[in-house]
Amino acid sequence: MKLIQSVRSRTACMRFPAAWLLIPLFCTTSYCQSIDLLIKGGHVIDPKNRIDGVMDVAITGGKIVQVAAAIPPSDAKKVVEARGMYVSPGFIDMHVHVFNGTTPEAYIANAATSIAPDGFTFRTGVTTVVDAGSSGWRNFKLFKAQTIDRAQTRVLAFLNIVGTGMASRYEEQDLSDMNPQMVANMIKRLYPDIIVGIKSAHYWGDYSQVQRAVEAGKLAEVPVMVDFGEHRPPLSIEKLFREYLRPGDIFTHTYAHGPNDRETVVDDQGKVKPFVLEMQKKGLVFDVGHGGGAFAWRQAIPSIKQGFLANVISTDLHTDSMNGGMKGLDNVISKFLNMGVPLSEAVLRVTWNPAQVIKRPELGSLSVGSEADITVFSVRTGDFGFIDARRLKMKGDKKLEAELTLRAGKVVWDLNGIAAASWESEIQGK
Amino acid sequence: MKMIRSKVHAMGRISIWLVLLLAQSAFAQTYELVIKGAQVIDPANSRHGKMDVAVNQGKIVKVAPAISEAAAQVIDAAGLYLSPGFIDPHTHVFVGTEAGQFANGVNSVSPDDFTFRAGVTTVVDAGTSGWRSFPTFKKQVIDQSKTRILAFLNISGGGMTGAAHEQDLSDMNADSAVALMRQYPDIIAGVKIGHYNGKEWTPFDNAMYAARQAGKPLFVECHLPEYTLEDQLARMRPGDIITHTFEHIKERMPVVGEDGQVHPFVLEARKRGILFDLGHGGAGFWFDQAVPAIKQGFYPNSFGTDLHRFSMNSAMKDMANVMSKFMAMGLSIEQVVEIATWNAAKAILHPELGSLNQGNPADIVLFRLREGDFGFMDSAGTSIRGNRKLEVELTIRQGKVVWDLNGLAAKKKGF
Repeated sequence: MKLIQSVRSRTACMRFPAAWLLIPLFCTTSYCQSIDLLIKGGHVIDPKNRIDGVMDVAITGGKIVQVAAAIPPSDAKKVVEARGMYVSPGFIDMHVHVFNGTTPEAYIANAATSIAPDGFTFRTGVTTVVDAGSSGWRNFKLFKAQTIDRAQTRVLAFLNIVGTGMASRYEEQDLSDMNPQMVANMIKRLYPDIIVGIKSAHYWGDYSQVQRAVEAGKLAEVPVMVDFGEHRPPLSIEKLFREYLRPGDIFTHTYAHGPNDRETVVDDQGKVKPFVLEMQKKGLVFDVGHGGGAFAWRQAIPSIKQGFLANVISTDLHTDSMNGGMKGLDNVISKFLNMGVPLSEAVLRVTWNPAQVIKRPELGSLSVGSEADITVFSVRTGDFGFIDARRLKMKGDKKLEAELTLRAGKVVWDLNGIAAASWESEIQGK
Repeated sequence: MKMIRSKVHAMGRISIWLVLLLAQSAFAQTYELVIKGAQVIDPANSRHGKMDVAVNQGKIVKVAPAISEAAAQVIDAAGLYLSPGFIDPHTHVFVGTEAGQFANGVNSVSPDDFTFRAGVTTVVDAGTSGWRSFPTFKKQVIDQSKTRILAFLNISGGGMTGAAHEQDLSDMNADSAVALMRQYPDIIAGVKIGHYNGKEWTPFDNAMYAARQAGKPLFVECHLPEYTLEDQLARMRPGDIITHTFEHIKERMPVVGEDGQVHPFVLEARKRGILFDLGHGGAGFWFDQAVPAIKQGFYPNSFGTDLHRFSMNSAMKDMANVMSKFMAMGLSIEQVVEIATWNAAKAILHPELGSLNQGNPADIVLFRLREGDFGFMDSAGTSIRGNRKLEVELTIRQGKVVWDLNGLAAKKKGF
């Protein structure tokens, strides 16, 4: 099978009106190939644009310029053959911890428990991550300089309502360091392009941390993500949903099962609590946030059977989740496929849904003009197993594997060399 | 972020009690873990066949055709291969926050992110630290990681700090390096020389002196543009290691000449006992070198991946991919396992690693060979096809499961 075609043609620019504009730039010779890279023959899943079928995707200047059936390969400088594979917008992992650093004894902020993003993202089809409150307003600038500005992955962030972010569980209890005005100022005035929301997590007290976070959310006009898992006995999540959170706010660790310190969405009889479904309908966002301990089959399987599917599928990537049941976003998506979620529904939850939740409508789709963040993946069939946080196993026969990942039109991951030429071609001088 | 540590510890404590209780009963279990029915490849002991492996207290206690004694946990590994955990003798894992730098910098990577999922249980850092920075490296990374981390010590005191500082002859203090190697003989596996742009042989000689004094190998990286390959090899002793075997870049003569033949002096050096490490990296692996060399029977002694920020997402990817690539070029599964285990262990003078000898730390990998149509790339961006790919199912480090792709060791009961 020939995988790369570098076909040249003289008849190129006739088909796209927009391409005429580029003619002076690119058609100085008798050859004209207005497309930099053409992904041909893949099954495109682009939920925003309601595309779910075989299409070609054309990229020029790092942007998507056309999605259509049968774009002529002669128009392209380079063609990647994606037959038998799926093509989707680059995945967005809306819940990660990537404020990697070396502060001794630190927990997540500037600490070894956080992960350098690029080693986990592209190989699992992810092009954008959202850090879930590892930093607060006091250390966000360090996070930005150290990680965000240096990563190839697009890194966005929820800013922790706590000034020091996730420095340690102890600092996270300091109500006097939860300043809505400072948080809102940093978001609105300094980093509106990077900070997409506010995180409330790990608080041992009452609802006052969430209140502060929502206050900041209102000031900055951004959503709040809540990890509501450290109250003994657990505080009511119905009260949290009804009295404190707004439509568009996010409840994470949806399928966690730690009933001693977190109220679960599924009750002891295996029923999804009615208010959970009701509040999702009213616009509350549910995030998976798998993590090291926050995903249990006994919560997820009944939920999905009863029609309660989280709006966003995410990893909660950090060192204590990476080698356990979580592994990578590809593996977490695969779990949902094997629980019966259709592929297009799963893709929606790692592309257009999170893009809307974080109010970044320019991400998560293959709309013409978008930055070309694209994932080409296969769905393997075989005999697979998946484990949850309690080390229990579910068998499955589908597994997602990222073949090719593009970030702004550049190949940043190529598992099997589908964008590479055969090595002999170099020797033969072709 | 949700942590499970406290629960794991609690469960650990409970299970210790259970084990003690059971031990007192009539149903005392002989082993903590038995892996049954795998195709064992243990090149150090010339074992290749269906065997069971028993583990107790983090050590390998028995390898035999059939182990029938009771075990607290049994893993059914029929259809899988089992070998000693892989050893990656060339990585850069002194990760820190310094921009544009390997030593204590963002160009290095955290080892646990990449090792276990690729079957690796031991890595050797290739001179990212020197005698000045090794204590920070140890405290910050080596002591914090689950992967076993050994190190070649850079002859440059600060390690890989960037071009300018690495040229400072006055910082290449052999005595300080030797003193540190004597302090940490179990961690520091040798001395590294590389990234020196001058013509003087002083850095090389100092590194060699330190290696001799400590009784350890010298690890020669390239990026020594003024030294010829022939001169470097001529100065090396049997057991010294040269890396980036199949690199084809301007600053070092490649091992395969224009005529497509491996240079005779290269073959001569190998015959004399010089060890060639792969050192794949982002730019260190070229099919136009590897394919003809392998056809002529010249392949690397060890599979250093040269893992770092710029190789991780390139043609390299990880150890499992590198091993698969060599199978695609014609090596057998036994050969690639030997290179990734026992050969590497011998090269770094750690004979307690890289084999399934009784009493060794139970660093074990279970893997399968996927069949299909796969592609593998090189640093030139070109590819070859292959029909087998090594996929790591389960990795065990000192008796503990640290990677379980498909839940092979997961609890069986329903949820």
